[in-house]
Amino acid sequence: MSDDSVPLALPLLRLAAGISEVTTLYSELRKPLLRYLVCLGLTSDEAQDVVQDAFLSLQRHLASNGTQENIRGWLFRVAHNQARNRQTSYHRRFGEPLDGEMDFLADDATPEQRVLEKEKFRHLAAAIRLLTESERGCLLLRAGGLRYREIGEVLGIATSTVADTVERGIKKLAEKCNV
Amino acid sequence: MCDVQEKLIAWLDHELPTDESAEVQRHIEGCKQCRTRLVGYEKVSETFDVYCDVVMAAKTRRRVPRWVPVLAGAVAAVAVMFLTFPRTRIEPPPILPTTTAASVPVPAQPTPETAPRKTIHRRHAVAPVHVRAAKWQPRETAVQIAIPAEAIFPPGAMPKGMNFIAELSIAPDGSVKQVRLWQ
Repeated sequence: MSDDSVPLALPLLRLAAGISEVTTLYSELRKPLLRYLVCLGLTSDEAQDVVQDAFLSLQRHLASNGTQENIRGWLFRVAHNQARNRQTSYHRRFGEPLDGEMDFLADDATPEQRVLEKEKFRHLAAAIRLLTESERGCLLLRAGGLRYREIGEVLGIATSTVADTVERGIKKLAEKCNV
Repeated sequence: MCDVQEKLIAWLDHELPTDESAEVQRHIEGCKQCRTRLVGYEKVSETFDVYCDVVMAAKTRRRVPRWVPVLAGAVAAVAVMFLTFPRTRIEPPPILPTTTAASVPVPAQPTPETAPRKTIHRRHAVAPVHVRAAKWQPRETAVQIAIPAEAIFPPGAMPKGMNFIAELSIAPDGSVKQVRLWQ
């Protein structure tokens, strides 16, 4: 191997390692990201597009030697910002009544169980509509498995604020759902 | 009201520092009211999680248009009919030997005798089509062409009036298999 081939090979190796890392992250985080975006109010197609864009941005970020600290939070933040840019109304779809769509919830359940299940989700949907945007965002990211610190980074708020917001949101839901 | 009540959800999420977490743990073990609250918060968290899955499944499910299953059923029905009823047997026309105006009469080639057909009891309707296609071979033909010597050699090189006969064997795929040239 000649001396001048080393500087050429190094970026290629780095690029290959970056692609492999992105692939691993994609298989791990695609579904949580999709779920977050769909619950945020995007359609399934819009969410797919946003996830693709977010991972392309991640690829560019890693290729340009960007920071690799808290990649999960970084991805959620990018996806969150893109979702906000696409939405004309934040409350457009989240919390829509799910009547007629929950028939597949429990195919093996008895009709009684299905009615109870529907009722439970109807109460929860009504309670979710009463949450503030921040509370809803915190709870969605929490449900996606993010730590309070990561949630704070995604939403641009302090970790202590996230803790308070999550507590407030959960208590509201518990109260409205009579738990 | 308990002092640790405000830390219950953070404790549930493992977000408290170690010392505070231990303190809350001790309190929960001795406080029935906080244990009940904790169970409620856990239940709400789980229901919220399931609700998110339901929303995602519902929106993903709606992506498939209603006409897709109908079209898929129609395509399947056509495919079944196509496979069930075999196509009409089409025998390829025999390839007859062709001759040019300049050709000399060719002795008739003995045509291979076709064996009398047997009645085959078919168990599967589709398989015999492939068997027939694999066994069928068109007859090999030969073409003889008379070529004047002047057309091959320069004038004067060969005596006048001399002809050559070229015999071409045609392969089943239409290509020339063999060329024999004699005087």
